[in-house]
Amino acid sequence: MHMADALLAPAVAATMYVASGTAAGVSIHQLKKEDDPQKLPVMAVTAAMVFAGQMINYTIPGTGSSGHMCGGMMLSALLGPHAGFLSMIVILAIQCLFFADGGLMALGANVWNMAFYGCFVGYYLIWRPMMRSKRFSANSASRRTGITLASVLGCVITLQMGAFSVVLETSLSGITELPFGAFCALMQPIHLAIGLVEGLITAAVLNYVYASRPELLRDVNLSAQEHAGKRSLKGVVVTLAVVALVVGGGLSLLASSNPDGLEWALFGNQEAGYAQNMGLDEEDFGVASAAADTAGSIQEKTSFLPDYAFKNSESAAGTTVSGIVGSVIVAAVAVLICILGGFFRKRKRETAVQ
Amino acid sequence: MIRFQHVSYAYETEQPVLTDLSFQIAAGEAVGLIGANGAGKSTLMKLLLGLLSGASGEILADGIPVSKENLKEIRKKTGYVLQNSDNQMFMPTVYEDMMFGPLNYMLSREEAEQRVDTVLQKLNMEYLKHRHNHKISGGEKRMAAIATVLAMEPEIILMDEPTSALDPCNRRIVINTIRELSQTKLIASHDLDMILDTCDRVLLLSDGKLAADGPAEEILRDQKLLEEHHLELPLRFS
Amino acid sequence: MNKMNQALRELSAMDTLAAQHSPIHGLNAAAKLICTAAYILIVVSFSKYDFGRLLPMVLWPVLLFQISGIPVRICFYKLRIVLPLVMAVGLFNPLFDRMPLLWIGTVPVSGGVISMLTLMMKGIFCLMASFLLIATTPIDSLAAALRKLHVPSMLVTLLLLTFRYVGVMTEELAIMTDAYHLRAPGQKGIHISAWGSFLGQLLLRSMDRAQELYSSMLLRGYHGHFHYAKWKPFGLIDALYLAASLTLMLLIRIFPVAQMLGALFI
Repeated sequence: MHMADALLAPAVAATMYVASGTAAGVSIHQLKKEDDPQKLPVMAVTAAMVFAGQMINYTIPGTGSSGHMCGGMMLSALLGPHAGFLSMIVILAIQCLFFADGGLMALGANVWNMAFYGCFVGYYLIWRPMMRSKRFSANSASRRTGITLASVLGCVITLQMGAFSVVLETSLSGITELPFGAFCALMQPIHLAIGLVEGLITAAVLNYVYASRPELLRDVNLSAQEHAGKRSLKGVVVTLAVVALVVGGGLSLLASSNPDGLEWALFGNQEAGYAQNMGLDEEDFGVASAAADTAGSIQEKTSFLPDYAFKNSESAAGTTVSGIVGSVIVAAVAVLICILGGFFRKRKRETAVQ
Repeated sequence: MIRFQHVSYAYETEQPVLTDLSFQIAAGEAVGLIGANGAGKSTLMKLLLGLLSGASGEILADGIPVSKENLKEIRKKTGYVLQNSDNQMFMPTVYEDMMFGPLNYMLSREEAEQRVDTVLQKLNMEYLKHRHNHKISGGEKRMAAIATVLAMEPEIILMDEPTSALDPCNRRIVINTIRELSQTKLIASHDLDMILDTCDRVLLLSDGKLAADGPAEEILRDQKLLEEHHLELPLRFS
Repeated sequence: MNKMNQALRELSAMDTLAAQHSPIHGLNAAAKLICTAAYILIVVSFSKYDFGRLLPMVLWPVLLFQISGIPVRICFYKLRIVLPLVMAVGLFNPLFDRMPLLWIGTVPVSGGVISMLTLMMKGIFCLMASFLLIATTPIDSLAAALRKLHVPSMLVTLLLLTFRYVGVMTEELAIMTDAYHLRAPGQKGIHISAWGSFLGQLLLRSMDRAQELYSSMLLRGYHGHFHYAKWKPFGLIDALYLAASLTLMLLIRIFPVAQMLGALFI
């Protein structure tokens, strides 16, 4: 699920950075308001634990394969959505910087796909309402059922959203030739299975915590008064509004800054027949051609680097002979640099030895 | 100067951990705190540092009553070497860890750096300055943890098992370092030989009560007393 | 060797590299961060058939590898994570995009093949760039650079603290995993009966650890504010490096360098 830099167009990556950045800003603001100095060390240690915990292989009974734990749900159940989200950002940043899992430019997208849904959607729409509902807090058995259900539901739903975002981002970036529908059909079912397993593992861990130190779980030990509070519904509405705003804002930003990518995804590349693949018809899209035209002209004016290679079909890949010869020269220069570097290092070593 | 007067403490709804504890430690004294697991050694130290609150009786650290208002002043004067150095060293490098305390007490960068260098030089560990905390050995980590505390120039030093899990050579280095510190010291440990080497006086805790208080040589030779409280004679006496 | 030990070795290898000395290691971390981001941005901005024009971008990382003396081998080892993912997406391209774009002799090369190769190339280039950044910049300098670039201090502090405990936690889990498998020979992973308790145990211990860590911070005067290591000022060399790198990248982005070079010889 970690996207690599190569899979994203700059505009898509930037949009996702803005979206994730906004969520991070809100989270930081919220945590500053809570002003709990102890939170930071707890977040750090928990994040480190989840980072390591994601490397554990859990055997899935009846199959030869293994599953992993879902970080987003786990963190928001333990730390709450804001602290959980920031912890996930840090985990993803370390994975991308030190283990090449993901990419520097794709970090915004990865945070959105894996942390935002898991922490905010998972918490506000699933974990908190379920933990606060009377049905799942009557006694410890029903509480256990609630934790299990919330974990599984949370993992499945947030993973589906994440997988769909991956498809959307890759398609908008114009990276893959795989039709949008087919890509979805490939990604969603796989992640349904993964989500189910991740949910069960997460449920097992959270249930263990519930049995030994229930006070560590969010929204689990509430007094009757807090149960009566109607805040959860408000929370849901607010979250939905924020999600809608961010998604809407992101899409419009995307549409204005990268008409190429959006146009490509929605109206298709005529030659390859994407419109059909996507089940879209340009004429059914009332504003389509006007929008596309404006978009095209905006692009010509705003694109900071004009796209040479495609203006004339003849030089599509810089494909003239000179292109090939030039590429060989570039490769030769690269090799030369390596040889020179090796030579100088060797000499330095030798002088050091003497 | 440290003083405990009729101090009792219990964690919520549980058995009391400390009952009616009274003793006094003069400035510059080196005192060993011994006792079986669960005798209350850690609790005692945490109360002194204000990490736990709600004890009855009176606790003074460097003559100042331990209370919420005085915490900042007390913590400035007391250093605590944790048993697990990984928990103590939370910054990426030894240098940054050592800078953390002094900078928090509003020292300028230059002054803090000066302190760090002085301490590293004193402990003969300049080579560790820019090393990463997760890449140094257990012995080095313990020395570095002591260094982070010394960089704050405390007047009282508390240590929790400073020699646990160290090889003989590193243990000796730590012991020699402790001996050279002129501050008031309170050292909790099961390593009775180390206590003999570093402390003049010993407090023996047992079930939250002070079972003995006296010169180290005397108490640590008393086989009957030690065995009564789940301890053994130090190796050199047996 | 289990996965955690593997991760620990990788972490430690990166630290060792970052602790070396070279002209690149000595540069200001913010300058390096900006260059890396610019490089990745420019690489991915090439269109999907721009194989020929993308190729000269290899020169920047190659130069840096040589000047810094960082072995390329470790970097390519990390490709095992990036490439399969990029391949999984790119492999479909030759199937769907069959229009011949270029002829090598009489063999047609379809657009899909070129876009797949371009995609792989992008993946490799981006990895080289971010690998170089981390291999020549210790985490504390990086954190200081992030602060200078106005990343919120809470996030930067969290990154530093988490990074520190990633090592500790991973080591603890590595030992636990070894201990588990010593008593459960032949099992590939953790059995369902221990799904909850295995990580749950560590989780509970972690909470105690966090408590102790917080105490140790408090005892050294922590009151919600973190101080960072000395900041190396932005000097002339850093400015030169930044300008030279960006110029090189932009030149390659704007002009078809390979083609122009080739034209000189034909």
